[in-house]
Formats: sequence, C-alpha cells, structure tokens
Amino acid sequence: MKKLYSNKPVIFSLVLPGILVFLFAVLAPICLSVYYGFTDYSGMGEAHLVGFDNYVKLVHDSAFGRSLLNSLFLAIGFICIQHPIAIIVAAVLDKLQGKAEGVFRCIYFIPNVISVAVIAYLWKFIYNPDFGLLNNVLSAFGYQGKINWLSQQNAIWSVLVVLIWHGFGWGMLIYYTGIKNIDPVLYEAASIDGAGWWTTFFRITLPLMKPVIQINVTMAIISALKQMETVYLLTNGGPNNSTQFAANYLYQQAFKAFKYGYGNAIGVVFIIICILATVTLNTIFRDKQKA
Amino acid sequence: MKEKENKIGKVVLWIVLIAVAAIQLFPLIWLVDFSLGSSNEMFTNGLLIIPEKIRWDNYVKAFVDGNFLHYLRNSILINTLAVILVVIISIMAAFACQRMKWKLNGFVSTLLVLGMMIPIHATLLPNYKIYSALHLTDTVWALLIPYVAFSMPQGMFLMTGFIQALPKELEEAAVMDGCGIYRIVFQIVTPLLKPSIATVAIMTFLNNWNEFMMASTYLSTPTWKTLPFSVLEFTGEYSSNYAVQFAVMALTAAPAVIVYVILNKHITKGVAMGAVKG
Repeated sequence: MKKLYSNKPVIFSLVLPGILVFLFAVLAPICLSVYYGFTDYSGMGEAHLVGFDNYVKLVHDSAFGRSLLNSLFLAIGFICIQHPIAIIVAAVLDKLQGKAEGVFRCIYFIPNVISVAVIAYLWKFIYNPDFGLLNNVLSAFGYQGKINWLSQQNAIWSVLVVLIWHGFGWGMLIYYTGIKNIDPVLYEAASIDGAGWWTTFFRITLPLMKPVIQINVTMAIISALKQMETVYLLTNGGPNNSTQFAANYLYQQAFKAFKYGYGNAIGVVFIIICILATVTLNTIFRDKQKA
Repeated sequence: MKEKENKIGKVVLWIVLIAVAAIQLFPLIWLVDFSLGSSNEMFTNGLLIIPEKIRWDNYVKAFVDGNFLHYLRNSILINTLAVILVVIISIMAAFACQRMKWKLNGFVSTLLVLGMMIPIHATLLPNYKIYSALHLTDTVWALLIPYVAFSMPQGMFLMTGFIQALPKELEEAAVMDGCGIYRIVFQIVTPLLKPSIATVAIMTFLNNWNEFMMASTYLSTPTWKTLPFSVLEFTGEYSSNYAVQFAVMALTAAPAVIVYVILNKHITKGVAMGAVKG
C-alpha cells in the first residue's frame, strides 16, 4: 500500500494536468502582466521599459481611486441592504412548510441563472427615461417627472440596485442553508420558554449563523472588488468614471485608450489588492472564530 | 390572544415573501410581456400591456437573426467539455494531494486552490497576447482553457474536502486485490464521489454558462461565440425595434431558466453544498 501510494511517476501524472493549466492560464499571464506593467507598450509597435512610471502614474490617477471607492460602496451596499433582507427572507422562508417553500426559493434564484448580458440590457430598458419600467412605476404612483437613472449622480446607485437584484437569490440561498442546519431542538426550547419570533431570530438564529454570515460577507466584498461585466454593459464606467471599476478601467485603458502597458500595471495592482483582501478577511474571521 | 398574534404573523410572513418574489420576477414578466407586442406599444403609461396582436414573429426574428441555435450549440459544447475536464483534473489532483504520500502535496494543493483569489478579468490583457501569439484566438481553446483554469481551483477545493471524508478501507481492500492507482481513482473513488461531482459540475456550469467578457476578447468571428452573443450582437442590428430586442433577450435567458426550474432541487442543493464550503 505504502509503496503504491508513494510512486512518484504516478503522482506526477495525476497532478500534471492541473499544474499545466495553472502554469499556462494563471501564472504565465500574471508574469506577462508584470513585464508589460513596466513598459509603455501601446498594443502595437515596440515596447520600451519605463521602470515604475506606470505605477507612479497610477497613484495619482483619480479614476483608479474612484474605482476602488466604488467597490467599497458596492460592498457596503451589499452588506447593509442585500444581506439583512436576505437573512430575514431566509428566516421567514424556513418557517414556511410544504410546497410554497420550494416555489419561493426557486423564484428568488431565477435572476441568478440569467446571463449578465441579458440582465444589463434589460435594466437599461428599465432605467430608460422615456418608456422604462421604473419611471412608469413612479408615474403609476402619481409622480410625473422623468428621472434619468443613469446620470452622474444616480448611476452608481442604479448599478447597485441591479447587482442586489441579480445576486439576491445566491446570498439568500446560502443563509437559508445555514438556517436549515440549525438544530430544531433549540427553537423548540425557545418556544417552550415563550420566546417570540424576533427574540428567537436575534438570540438563536443570528448568533448561530455567524460563520455563514462571515462567508457571505467575504464573498460580497470580493465580488464588489471584481465587479466588471454588469458595469461594462450598463454604463461602461460612465458617465465621467462615476461607475468605474478596476477591471473595467484596465480593460478600457488597454483596448480603448491603447495604453496596454498601463492597463497591465493596473492589472498587477488589482491582483495584489484582491489577494490582500481575501487573505485579510480570512485572517480576521479565523481569529475571531478561535476567540 | 396568542392565536390572533399568530394569524397576524402569518399574514406579515406571506406579505414579505410575496413582495420579494414580485420584485425578483416582475422585470422578467415585463420583458416577456413587451416581447410579444409591437415596438410602438412600449410608449404607454401602464406597467404592462395587452398586445393588440400577439406577435410571435418577434421570436422568429430573434431565433433566426440572433443565430440562436448556433450559439446555443457552442455554449452547450464548450460548457460540457469544461465541466468534464474540471471534474477529471480536480479529482486526479485532489486524490494525489490528499491521499498519496509525497513531500510537496501541501504546496501543490495550495498552489492550485490559490487561483480562486486571482481576479479573472486581470488576465484578459495578457491572455489575449498569449493566445494571439499562439494562434489560439478564434478557436475553441481560447474559451476552454480559461474556463477550465478558473473553475479548477474551486473544483479542486471541493474535491479535496470530499475525498478527505471518504473512508480509506475501500481503497485498502482494492490495493489488496491488486488494483493499480489509476483503477482506484477512476473505478473505486470516482463513483463514490457522485454527489460531489454534481456539485462541482453545477458550480462550473453556473460560472461559465453566462460568461462573455473572455469570449468577446478572444473571439472575433462567430464560429465559437456563445449564447450571450445573440443579445450582444443583435442590439445593433435591430436598434430601433425594441420588441424584437426584448424577444431575443427572453429567448437567450430561456434555456438556463427552464433547466433551472426543472432541476431546481438538485441545483439548489449543489449550490448550497458548494458555496458553504467554498
């Protein structure tokens, strides 16, 4: 057994495909990005090494700063708006027995399986000032103005709404699974002691959900950092960079502004920020769990 | 008193659930509703319309001019291949790192899972260069390689957990019977992992089915383009005919929604298992 399980050529053959994929599709592009990040390459012609010029420029680039602030805004929006609703809905859904439970759970998740391409175009129509659904809803309530939902002031909120709507089912489902894993005996005990719904929710459900909440919060922050596709189609970072995000910005710089080198420098910083954020969040939550 | 409170509670409970369901579904109902009318009917003040005549021809246009079948075929083919590769590669690597005895197992395992932290979109620029240099743009590899690469870390992570939980006795018995490692991996371990394979497959599918950023960067001809492109390329062609645009959006969303509704119990379970662990 021992001999068989430590056969080097066999081990090598088993991990080789995984390692090849990693080297070719993850490590190689990162190395190439690091190289191009030090050049003034435009996408065509020759690349010249320019040292840390791109990175110095990046520090003073207000659009990049705006991108990071927007990610922070999204993360706060997810945590303060989407997640409380998702937890409450999950807790309410858990109380429901029978067929309705499955039906509602299914409905909440439907937007999640639809392509961002469809979602972004659909919401473009919903936000349309002339015939969009949102202004029609407002006028049904008696408001007659035509609001431009994608203007510089409103656009980031509109993006947040789309993302909360699209991702709601996912967050809800994870909380729902967490709640299902809570021992029903605890609820019975609480009900014998005469605890009402809110007391049970705050004293039993929420505290026991702590690990699940931590996972969900981590995922919310990371996805806020990585946001690109919805914004790319809905506003493409505009108007005036008010909905800019790091991934979208590096793409624009490389392929629209023909600053391929600069785009790669943004990419390198972006990767570092994502890794730091993941590691930091995991460390914070792990320490807390031990304590 | 208690009973009355219970009744009020029930009503509030239902109101909350129905309100959220309405918010989640109404935009989609609106989409389907307007896709069956004519473009002129959009400029009404009502929330929904009752089309004067139900225009199925919007869908015919969407189906034909949106290249629906071609893109659907590509999506199914590429995603199926990606799922198969991710499952096989991650089972092999996870087994080697989890069960077999060698010095670097911890290091390799961490390395392969590390990919989860890398933002996909940061690799768009360098990968475009690499694929152009190797003449891989506009081939199926330009999608397959990154799809596998960015789903593998999660697959590997989940499989490692699942393999860890398997009892070792079966493998020991297999070794006694003279089984080689490859037979142990593919004939003994893999069948035991069925539910886990379903989870990995569902997560991989959900990750990649709707992906279009890489596809629109690495592909310029329609040969291998996937389903989101019926929407992306259609809007230019019919820019003033909104009703047909709505039809193409509804049509593009339909396969995933239909499959989800049919398999929703399994998918929910898979996502729950995958997400809580991931």
